[in-house]
Amino acid sequence: MKKEDMVKLISSEGFEFVIDKDAAMVSQTIYNMLTSPGSFSETQHGEVTFPEISTTILEKICKYFYWHLQFASGKETEFHIEPELTLELLMAANYLHT
Amino acid sequence: MGGVCSRKRDQRDNEDNVLRGVSGRYIKSGSSKWLATSFPRPAIDVQLGRGKCPSLLDLCIRKICEDIDRYSTFSMLPRDISQQIFNELVYSHRLNDVYLEAFRDCALQDLYLGEYPGVNDSWMDVISSQGSSLLSVDLSGSEVTDTGLLHLKDCLNLQALNFNCCDQISDHGLERISSSFSNLTSLSFRRNNAITAKGMSAFAGLVNLVKLDLERCPEIHGGLIHLKGLAKLESLNLKCCNCITDDDMRPLSGLVNLKVLQISCSKVTDFGITFLQGLHKLSLLNLEGCPVTAACLESLSALAALLYLNLNRCHLSDDGCMKFSRFGNLKVLNLGFNDISDACLVHLKGLTNLESLNLDSCRIRDEGLVNLIGLRHLKFLELSDTEVGSNGLRHLSGLTSLESLNLSFTVVTDGGLKKLSGLTSLKSLNLDARHITDTGLAALTSLTGLTHLDLFGARITDAGTNHLRNFKNLRSLEICGGGLTDTGVKNIKDLSSLMLLNLSQNSNMTDKTLELISGLTGLVSLNVSNSRITSSGLRHLKTLKNLKSLTLEGCKVTVNDIKMLQSTDLPNLVSFRPE
Repeated sequence: MKKEDMVKLISSEGFEFVIDKDAAMVSQTIYNMLTSPGSFSETQHGEVTFPEISTTILEKICKYFYWHLQFASGKETEFHIEPELTLELLMAANYLHT
Repeated sequence: MGGVCSRKRDQRDNEDNVLRGVSGRYIKSGSSKWLATSFPRPAIDVQLGRGKCPSLLDLCIRKICEDIDRYSTFSMLPRDISQQIFNELVYSHRLNDVYLEAFRDCALQDLYLGEYPGVNDSWMDVISSQGSSLLSVDLSGSEVTDTGLLHLKDCLNLQALNFNCCDQISDHGLERISSSFSNLTSLSFRRNNAITAKGMSAFAGLVNLVKLDLERCPEIHGGLIHLKGLAKLESLNLKCCNCITDDDMRPLSGLVNLKVLQISCSKVTDFGITFLQGLHKLSLLNLEGCPVTAACLESLSALAALLYLNLNRCHLSDDGCMKFSRFGNLKVLNLGFNDISDACLVHLKGLTNLESLNLDSCRIRDEGLVNLIGLRHLKFLELSDTEVGSNGLRHLSGLTSLESLNLSFTVVTDGGLKKLSGLTSLKSLNLDARHITDTGLAALTSLTGLTHLDLFGARITDAGTNHLRNFKNLRSLEICGGGLTDTGVKNIKDLSSLMLLNLSQNSNMTDKTLELISGLTGLVSLNVSNSRITSSGLRHLKTLKNLKSLTLEGCKVTVNDIKMLQSTDLPNLVSFRPE
C-alpha cells in the first residue's frame, strides 16, 4: 500500500488512526479537506487532527467508514452502535457530514 | 457544526383534484390515511436493505429513537439534529407525551403531528416551549382545545398552523390567537363545526396570511367580511361550506391578489360570481356543485389570468355557452354533469390551450367531437357516460398529446378503436364498455406506453389477453367481464410493473390464477372476487409483500384465512375483504 493512499486521523487525545484514503473520504468533511486545492495543510500531509473527537468515537467512525464501503459493495450487514456512545457519535457524524 | 436542514412545508395541492374533477375526498378514518390533509411528514428516507447506504447520522438518530427512554433532554443538541430525532420518532410512531418532554426548549421549527395518536392539550406546554423558533405546527386530528391553543401565544414567529378536524377548537380559541400571529402565512381549520363569523373576526389581524383553508366549516356564513383587509391572501379554500352564499362573495371582491378560490358545493349563484370580476390574478376557480348557470361566464370572462375552471355539476345549459369562446387561456375546464350538448362544444373550438377537458355525462355525440380537433394540447379527455360512439373517435385521432382518455359507458365499439392506435402518448385508457371485445383490444397494441388500462365491463376472453403482452408498462389493469380463465392469466403474469390488478367477476378462475400471479411482487392491490379461489390458494400470495389491499368476496375464503396470511407473510396488508 502506497503512503499517499493512506491518511492519518488524529483524535483529541493524540491517538493516530492510519486508514485508507478511500474510506476516510466517505466523510464529506474529510473529502473536502483532502481534495481542496492547496490551502489546507491536511491536503499536503495526509493528516487530519480532530481536537473535539475522542479516541473511542474516532475509532467507531473509522469502523463506520469501512462498513460503508462494504455496504456499497453489496454486503449489507448491520452497524452496531453502543447506546452509551450514540450521542457523542451523532455529534461527530454531524460535523463530519457522514 | 450544523447540517443541512431541508424544510418542506407545502401542503398537497388541490389543483390535482380539480384536474380530475374530484372534490374533497378526505375521510377521517384509518384506512384513508393516504388522503390525509395534514402536512406530509419528513422522515429519514433511507431504508435499510434497499441498496442505499444509511449515513452514520441516520444510524445514530435511529438508535436514539430505539433507546428513547435513555434520554431526558435533547436541548443541548443543535436544533436541526433534535428536529431530525423528533421527526423520526413521529414517523416510527414511538413518540408519546412522556418522551415529548425531552424536546422541551429545543428550539424546534416544525412540529408535524397531524393525525398522530394521543395528541392533546397536555402536549402543548412542550410544543410552546420552542418559543420564537417555532415556525409551523400541524395538530390536525388531535384533541387539542381552545385552552391548548392559547399556549401558542408566545410563539410569535409561527408561519403555518394546521388544525384540521380539531372539533374542540371554537371561536373562543380563535379570538385569543390573532394578536400573536401576525407572521402567520398559512392557516387551516378544515372540518370545524364550531367556528362562526364571530370567531372569524380574529382573522382580520392576520395581515400576512397567504393561504386560508376552511373546507367543510358549515357555520362560517357572514364571516368572510373579516378577510377584507387581508391584502396578501392568495389562496382561499371554502370547499363544501354549504352555508356560503352570494353575500359572502361581496367581501372577496377586493382581494386582488387571490390566485386560488375554491367555493365548490356552496350556495353561490351567478349573482355572487359578479363580485369576483376584479380578481385579475385568479388562476384557479372551483365552482363544482354550485347553482351557477352559463350566465356567470359573463363575469368570469373578465378574469384574464384564469387557467383552471371547474364547473362540474353546476346548472349549465347550452344557453349562454357561446361565452366560452372568450376563455382562450384556459388549460383545465371541467364541464362534467351539466346539461350541455354538442351545441356547447362549438364554442370550445378556440380554446387551443386546453390540456384537460371533462365532459362526463354530458349530452355529447359523435358530431360534437369535431370541435375538439384543434385542441392539440389536450392531455386529459373525459367522455365517460356520453353518447359518443365509434364514429366520433376519428375526430380524436389527431390529438396526439392525449395521455388520458376515458370512454367508459359510451357506445364505442371495436370498429372505432383503430382510430386511437396513433395516440401513442396515451398512458391511461378507460374502455369499460360492454361493446368492447378482444377484436377491439387487438387494434390498440401500438399503445405501448399505457400504464393504466380499464376493461372492467369489456368482454375480454383468454384469446384477447395475448394482446396485453404489448403493454409492458401497465401499472393497473382491470378485466372483469366474466370471460377470463386461468389460461388468460398466463399472459398477465409477466406484466411485472403491475401494482393494481382487478380480475373479479371472472367466475371460472381458480387457485391456479393466484399461483400464476405470485411473481407480480409489485402488486399493491388485488381483487379476484366472485371466482373459484379457495383458502388453499392463498399460500401463493406470500410473495406479494407490497400488497395493501386484497379483495376476495364471494370466494371460498374466510376472514380468518386472510388474517392468518396477513400475520405470517403480508405485513403491509391494511384493507381486505371479506373482513
